[in-house]
Amino acid sequence: MSFHHLDRYAYIESPITDTPPVVRLLGTVVVAVGAAALPLGAWGHMAVLALLVGLIALLARVPARVMLLRVSGPLAFVVLASTAVLFLVPGQPVFHAGPVVVTDAGLLRFGSAIGRAVVALGAAVILVSTTGFPDLVSAFRDLRLPRVVTTSLGLAYRLLYTLVDEIERIERAARSRNVGAGARRRRQLAVGIAATALTRSFARGERTYRAMLARGYHGEMPSLRTRRVDANSLIGLGLLTVTVLATTISAYMIR
Amino acid sequence: MAPLIEITDLAYRYPDGTPAIAGISLSVQSGDRVAILGPIGAGKSTLLLHLNGLLLPQSGSVTVDGMKVTEETVREVRSRVGLVFQDPDDQLFLPTLLEDVAFGPLNEGKAPREAAARAHGVLADLGLAGSEGRAAHHLSGGQKRLAALATVLVSRPRVLVLDEPTGNLDAEGRAKLVRLLQERDETLVVATHDLEVARALCSRCVVLDRGKIATQGDSARLLDDASFLQQHRLTVPLGDRVLRSSSGTRSPKNPHNH
Repeated sequence: MSFHHLDRYAYIESPITDTPPVVRLLGTVVVAVGAAALPLGAWGHMAVLALLVGLIALLARVPARVMLLRVSGPLAFVVLASTAVLFLVPGQPVFHAGPVVVTDAGLLRFGSAIGRAVVALGAAVILVSTTGFPDLVSAFRDLRLPRVVTTSLGLAYRLLYTLVDEIERIERAARSRNVGAGARRRRQLAVGIAATALTRSFARGERTYRAMLARGYHGEMPSLRTRRVDANSLIGLGLLTVTVLATTISAYMIR
Repeated sequence: MAPLIEITDLAYRYPDGTPAIAGISLSVQSGDRVAILGPIGAGKSTLLLHLNGLLLPQSGSVTVDGMKVTEETVREVRSRVGLVFQDPDDQLFLPTLLEDVAFGPLNEGKAPREAAARAHGVLADLGLAGSEGRAAHHLSGGQKRLAALATVLVSRPRVLVLDEPTGNLDAEGRAKLVRLLQERDETLVVATHDLEVARALCSRCVVLDRGKIATQGDSARLLDDASFLQQHRLTVPLGDRVLRSSSGTRSPKNPHNH
């Protein structure tokens, strides 16, 4: 287990990784807000935004398989959370499933929620795949987020790393003693491993924090890949904003 | 000439009240190579943490390069004293080696380009060129040690402070690290219970026991005093002990001697 693979496309040269992290973050927000603002049932416009996200993924050299895999996890939660609207929104019955009636209005809302989520999640996946965590924190800093927030994010990242590393160590030690026979035993062990790892990672986190302080850390994670906002990235962000705005506005005009 | 490090009557208690070190006074001149010896729990690591300002004196004082170590001077002190921790896994926490090594210079305010150039240079000096993009957990134990050293050398400190630098290293890795440290010009403070490493690297030894300085002096003299070392729970090489305890009675078992 490791989470370093999450931002592995951040190390690949591409037009997307060449833009400053703050521009990538703003671009993601623009796409997500644009998708959320689309009217219900604007399928064509949702498809346009989804194509735009696909094009950006292509430019960022994030493979389609990776995109689908990473979108599918959070999308499952969206599907789960949105299922209720199928039955709760009043409208014409479309079909009956026992005592439950699925309405046309419910289907419309459900489909729209999923469509919007696919676009927004796709944009978010591109952001986290192409942007290392320290860069992401520096982007938040550039957006003038309170320092306490950016520092907390930086510390959470460090703790996450130590937690994953400790889980790996404990798992390895457990596997070396042939544990894991039976699903129930494996579940019990997973709980034990998680608890032990959490305790250990606090101690380890403390030691790592000391090592960071010893090298001059003062609350902000510096990054080697700092890029200044230049004219090209501003033009790119402008074009993206215009495209998303035009798509959203045209969706309302066509209705 | 004023000493580079001056420790006066330093004491520190853990939060639960247990004394870690007490009444320690020590001077280190520029260019000195000092080994801090002592068994586990003697207070070696606690003493080292004071040199870098990670722990501030509860009583007594620590002065580095003419600066008393306080909350106000701690950043300046840390740029002059490079501390390499016992476990390199604690020191290497960023996704790639290059980022880890450049972390110190970036914190000092160096531009990313300069920090990266310095990091490349130090990694090349330590024989780690080509590993810049690798994650620390993909390195061998010896490479991790060198990488941890690189994270400190890159900031060009005046004093190198190493906590158990040869722990978990095989013979080759240990020899390589010792050779490398012998070639460095920085003032060196090494906490270890590896007496061979202390002998190879340091001309002077300070023996800590139960948080106090038991003695200090010339390495050659102290490290030859087996009974003194045993009295302070320091390991004489196993071969020497076996030979001493059995001299004249038995020789090591040899299947060919029948």
